[in-house]
Amino acid sequence: MDALEGLTILDISSHIAGPYTTKLVADLGARVIKVERPGGDPARQLGPWLGDEPGIERSGTYQFLNTNKESVVLDLGTEAGRAVLQDLVPLADLVLVALPPAKAERLGLTYDAIRPVKDVPVVSLTNFGNAGPYRDYALSETVLFAMGGEMWSHGLLDREPLKLGGMAALMQCGAMGAIAALGGAHAYEVHGIGQAIDVPLFEVQINSVDRRSSSILAYRFTGRVNSRPPGPSAGIAGGIYPCADGYVEVTASFGNYWNRFVEMIDDDTFRAPRWLDPMVVLDPTAKEDADAVVYPWMLTRTRREIWEAARNAHAIVAPLFTGKDLYEDPVFRERGLWTEVEHATLGRFPMLGRPYQLDRTPWRIRHAAPMLGEHTRAVLDEAGYDAAKIDSLYAQGVVA
Amino acid sequence: MNDYLPLAGIRICDFSAVWAGQSATMYLADMGAECIKVENPGIWNPMTRAASARMDPMMCMAIPPWLGGHPNNNPGPRPWNNSPAFIHVLRNKKSVTVDSRTPEGLELVKQLLRISDITAENLAIGTLEKLGLDDAAIRAIRPDIIILHLPAFGRTGDYIQGRGYGAHMDAVGGSTILRGYRDDAPMTNVQVFAGDFYAGMHGAVAALAALRHRRRTGEGQTIEAAQAEVSSQMFPQAALDAAWNGREHVSLGNRSLEGFVPNGVFPARGEDAWIAISCRSDAEWAALTRHMGNPAWATSPELATAAGRAAVEDMLEERIAEWTATQDQQQLFRELQAAGVTAGPVLSAGDVTEDEHLAATGVWKTLPATDDYPETPFSVPPYHFSKSNVGIRTTPALFAQHNDYFYRELLGLSEEEIARHRELGNIAEAFTPEAIMA
Repeated sequence: MDALEGLTILDISSHIAGPYTTKLVADLGARVIKVERPGGDPARQLGPWLGDEPGIERSGTYQFLNTNKESVVLDLGTEAGRAVLQDLVPLADLVLVALPPAKAERLGLTYDAIRPVKDVPVVSLTNFGNAGPYRDYALSETVLFAMGGEMWSHGLLDREPLKLGGMAALMQCGAMGAIAALGGAHAYEVHGIGQAIDVPLFEVQINSVDRRSSSILAYRFTGRVNSRPPGPSAGIAGGIYPCADGYVEVTASFGNYWNRFVEMIDDDTFRAPRWLDPMVVLDPTAKEDADAVVYPWMLTRTRREIWEAARNAHAIVAPLFTGKDLYEDPVFRERGLWTEVEHATLGRFPMLGRPYQLDRTPWRIRHAAPMLGEHTRAVLDEAGYDAAKIDSLYAQGVVA
Repeated sequence: MNDYLPLAGIRICDFSAVWAGQSATMYLADMGAECIKVENPGIWNPMTRAASARMDPMMCMAIPPWLGGHPNNNPGPRPWNNSPAFIHVLRNKKSVTVDSRTPEGLELVKQLLRISDITAENLAIGTLEKLGLDDAAIRAIRPDIIILHLPAFGRTGDYIQGRGYGAHMDAVGGSTILRGYRDDAPMTNVQVFAGDFYAGMHGAVAALAALRHRRRTGEGQTIEAAQAEVSSQMFPQAALDAAWNGREHVSLGNRSLEGFVPNGVFPARGEDAWIAISCRSDAEWAALTRHMGNPAWATSPELATAAGRAAVEDMLEERIAEWTATQDQQQLFRELQAAGVTAGPVLSAGDVTEDEHLAATGVWKTLPATDDYPETPFSVPPYHFSKSNVGIRTTPALFAQHNDYFYRELLGLSEEEIARHRELGNIAEAFTPEAIMA
């Protein structure tokens, strides 16, 4: 049995954040009916491509974000298309909308507009919320992270601030959407209520529990702003070191962290009295003298050798892995980080597997991401449309 | 009043620490679960209520504001109640003290487990087991409980003893190698802690799903969300390109994985003022060039397509930077958005507090002063429910704040028993001197 069995979500979202919200619930058993525009979710245009061959069914971004979903292609630019969408609402226990607020209003995709059809939770993922001076502004991954309060402190003081890799900020917003959606689903099932649930992406960023909300609170408390540091490391040791086959991240600035690091390096130099005095951190030559031992130690060892030594010493040190390292890593593979999906036309291919393990209701892939419009006919049939009506909608280009 | 709380009637026995665990339970507490944070007055848990139990004004100034910025850079006698890094994850929670190392204390923990629906932990591997609270023992106490583990690198496999904070999850999860300056080695990377944030959210998602299953079937279960594995899900493009095509991704700096050109962070007028600009389409590029006054370098026909612009991306970035450096950040942000160009200011923590949109949309809720911090605006949770009361219902739990509730109301102990637990050190108002000095 799946944890979210019997929960149906009508998903009017595309690109990254909304689809990640619905992927998280689909992979735990919810049924997700994804409404795609003619031509498909723009994520279908994003790589990487399976076998390096571009194509709307071969996108890694789309394949990852849409496992276990059904695809219904509807032209919401037509009145007939909007009418079909209204007829899909009764199938749903929750509607997820990720559209600019003005467009959502125009299409009748707000809680107030949906309630008369069926009183279900309507989760809106918006850039800046449904009100306020930035309401209609656009966002990208970079602009979202820029405004989120952390980019300012990411990077070096004498250079430009830096974004995160990939589309991390949008993915984070998608995960928050899933918390909100599941909260809405519980309230719906326990209390029998539908409601509007707004999740503004901008707020997800400034609320992020890491150096975003903490920096903001620190400013409120002290007037100090968390700026970019002049250099990457702090204390006698710490930051990223090169090693024989890549890099490792080290936290060893003081106290126990430093003691365990010393145990890991296991060099008599650091057992001299100078290094046992906590005030050594104030010695301007200490970092250079430590580096003279640490760098050669690192450069003659691989990431895996260093990580093993760190684990034995309980030192706070970890390797910088690439996607390839993650794919090939025998420990993560054995644990089940990777899986394979079976696709009707593409065959079997590897897919990032479960983010978590639930022992009674396991995360699982029931089917690969849908082909464009794969479920249009079946879902319309379920919504009560007869074959002739469906054929006519196809002929008019309202559905595909 | 009906709060329509999604998790009404659900209780959490919370052993979680740092950010990943404490934020996972924060989301569940927001949703209405009664989250009881079990705190041992005899043990200082690093990076859980503050960087150090001995925080003082000198340490405050020696470490960066996000961690050292206690009120007025002076934590006072209880730094565990006013760390900017941790008090926000204590909203909507309750704090009780128990010394679980003693048999009597352990019995109290078991009594709490007996009346809890979930327990959550991300302590060093083996911590609960040493107390005799392995999964089987917990389940023997409460058969239908949901156990949420958020280990660093997994509870099975060779990495089980790996230690790390968010930055180390980011390293192993594949995040760190993907960020940094394009023209510099990863050694210049500054730590971020997205790993904590991501793991905490995913822990909450898994727990919310397990709670639904339990509500429908009566069945509890055990959840393991290894933080590094969760982090790896943040970068599916890099992972799948490696798996499918054997390709290694490197940092793109501020350029776009989606092929937007230009896409970057450019200087604005004044000191350390920056604006992010993304031309997500050829139309946005055309709008940007119009807004710049159609300079000659921007108007050649080859630049009409992203591919054409990508061929001269360095040049475009230099020229755009020369232009933005003459512009006011806030004004340019609004003008570009009005012109149809995706742009936004790089907001510092201070800028965020002054942002007109956040102020206008009710993001700040002023919480009353306590003995440990002044009246302060906190951000409300980023999900706004029109009927369920999932906002900040109760202020961040001060250490030991809910001992009365726990010992008297919840456990119903007599005055003699309460006096005895006070003597045993279970009921305490502060950490012990040994814990503080450890």
